[in-house]
Amino acid sequence: MTARRLLTRGNIGLALLVVVLLAMPNLASAFFVNFVLTQTMMLGVAAATIVFLARYGGMVSLAQFLLVGVAGFMFGNAAVEGGARGLNLGMNPWLAVVFAIVITTAVAFVLGALASRTTGLYFLMLTLVYAVIGFFVFAQIVELSGPGGITSIQRPDLMGPPVRLYYAGLVLSVLVYLGFKALGRATFGLTLQGVRDDPIRMASLGYNVPMHRTLAFTLAGFVAGLSGVLHVWWNGQIDPASIAIGPSLILLIMAVIGGISYFEGAWLGAFVYVLAFTYLRDLPLIDQIGITEARFNTVIGAVVLLIMVLSPEGLAGIAARVWRRVNKPASAAPTAPAGGPSSAA
Amino acid sequence: MTQTTPAPAVPAIADPVIQVRSVVVAFGGLLALKGIDLDVTRGERLAILGPNGAGKTTLFNVIAGDITPTDGTVAIKGRDCTFLPSRHRPRLGMARTYQKARSFDGLTIRENIYLALAGHRGRHWPLWRSPVDRRLDEEATEVAESVWLGDHLDTAAGELAHGQKRQLELGMAIATQPDVMLLDEPASGLSRGERERLVELLDSLAGEVTLLLIEHDMEVAFSLSQRVVVMADGAMVTAGTPEQIQSDPDVHEIYLGVEASS
Repeated sequence: MTARRLLTRGNIGLALLVVVLLAMPNLASAFFVNFVLTQTMMLGVAAATIVFLARYGGMVSLAQFLLVGVAGFMFGNAAVEGGARGLNLGMNPWLAVVFAIVITTAVAFVLGALASRTTGLYFLMLTLVYAVIGFFVFAQIVELSGPGGITSIQRPDLMGPPVRLYYAGLVLSVLVYLGFKALGRATFGLTLQGVRDDPIRMASLGYNVPMHRTLAFTLAGFVAGLSGVLHVWWNGQIDPASIAIGPSLILLIMAVIGGISYFEGAWLGAFVYVLAFTYLRDLPLIDQIGITEARFNTVIGAVVLLIMVLSPEGLAGIAARVWRRVNKPASAAPTAPAGGPSSAA
Repeated sequence: MTQTTPAPAVPAIADPVIQVRSVVVAFGGLLALKGIDLDVTRGERLAILGPNGAGKTTLFNVIAGDITPTDGTVAIKGRDCTFLPSRHRPRLGMARTYQKARSFDGLTIRENIYLALAGHRGRHWPLWRSPVDRRLDEEATEVAESVWLGDHLDTAAGELAHGQKRQLELGMAIATQPDVMLLDEPASGLSRGERERLVELLDSLAGEVTLLLIEHDMEVAFSLSQRVVVMADGAMVTAGTPEQIQSDPDVHEIYLGVEASS
């Protein structure tokens, strides 16, 4: 029964996609896998935390990239030994991972608690303030960030070959995607959606609304921290400029390009962004029409504008619409068992 | 404007479930409640009548904890709840509905009722589903059936018709089997048939359930209540049995804005 229920088209599609992605290192160039796809996986996970907060909690956060950065800095401080920069704690790399995740989660808890009584635009502005403050904290407390960043950060030996990092990103992506999806039907996911739809009603049903928002932000921070550890492994260095307001906005733009109410959109948006960022300059004649690297952000801005006009739900929204149209004739039969669980009860 | 007569002295009663004492609520310069006293006994069915702006919903919000009164106290089952946030009310056995249906529009009917059940049981945090959730889902299904929504379990609440939303609102209130229920205009916007079903449903509640009702529909209010309190302009005007209130000329004047004619 449960096995049958798992055989939906969506799940089969996902499984096929994962198989293809697992085979990618044998199919595509090392550059495409280790640069484009690995980045897509890491940024996709970070963007998925934005989707998680927006979709279930109704909170659009600009602070997620800060948390990615906190995890990166903490790992750098903990793992690097004897370098000129940072705290040089010289921990075992796996202990450093735990240290980075714990600190990031704790920071997310505090930031989430401070923002837990705000919603909508005020929440967005408050998280923008977090991103700005976070940047200046790392830019000015050079003991934490090393003057000009922490460099030559080594990843654990297990993660040595770059392709392993790609697999780690893929595994994390699949777990985060499935986890966030499943959470939507579990108690905490439902309570969070209740808080999104009507916080006053939730309170009168007995729920602690600010605590729900706080813990949602904490969970999103934890996941962003995982992405941050992968990111710093991949990059080998981290500096304050990399978590400035620009990159924070770009993460939100990825979620918007992909579709902020679809988890698939997080990875789709990240993929489109990385693809554009990587290959736009290689297109023939691109210089002649005035798109030089310096104007890259203008192009991204135009893409965002175009997507917002065509589909406020992003690329995933377009895909969902096409999917529905294609499946319309066939969908009459599969919708019938919708009453199944109730008749079985 | 009528001269508001002093609120009738509250008779001392044996087993008060709700005690409201000289509650004042000010919104800025506006006095929404001007010193309300109200005692409700266990199992009582009380209707609160009054024109728009009389302060009925504000009084409900004070009792339900959504508003902290500017002055005065509220006690529920002998416990001072004046400053207790609304989220602690379900544990005291209290449930309420809202004048404007407040359902979770992005969730299905089953999930809406599930949240009412889970909120009451203190099941707020699990990150994955367990057999407990399946039992709660079954209970939610039963509740949905009892408010005639059994056919719409997987419909999003946002897609419901107005009357169905009111049914859902009621279902979420009765789901936790509260012994104190505050119903804010449960019959507003319902068709005649739906009103009759509503009265039938509320009549079928156990005798020890205390029911407070704000209702504009006299027929519903009088058929459900044992005692009627009339409010106007933030104060209590009069109280009595439905028969007394129906024949009270003051009430006619306040409520209809005309001299009682018959």
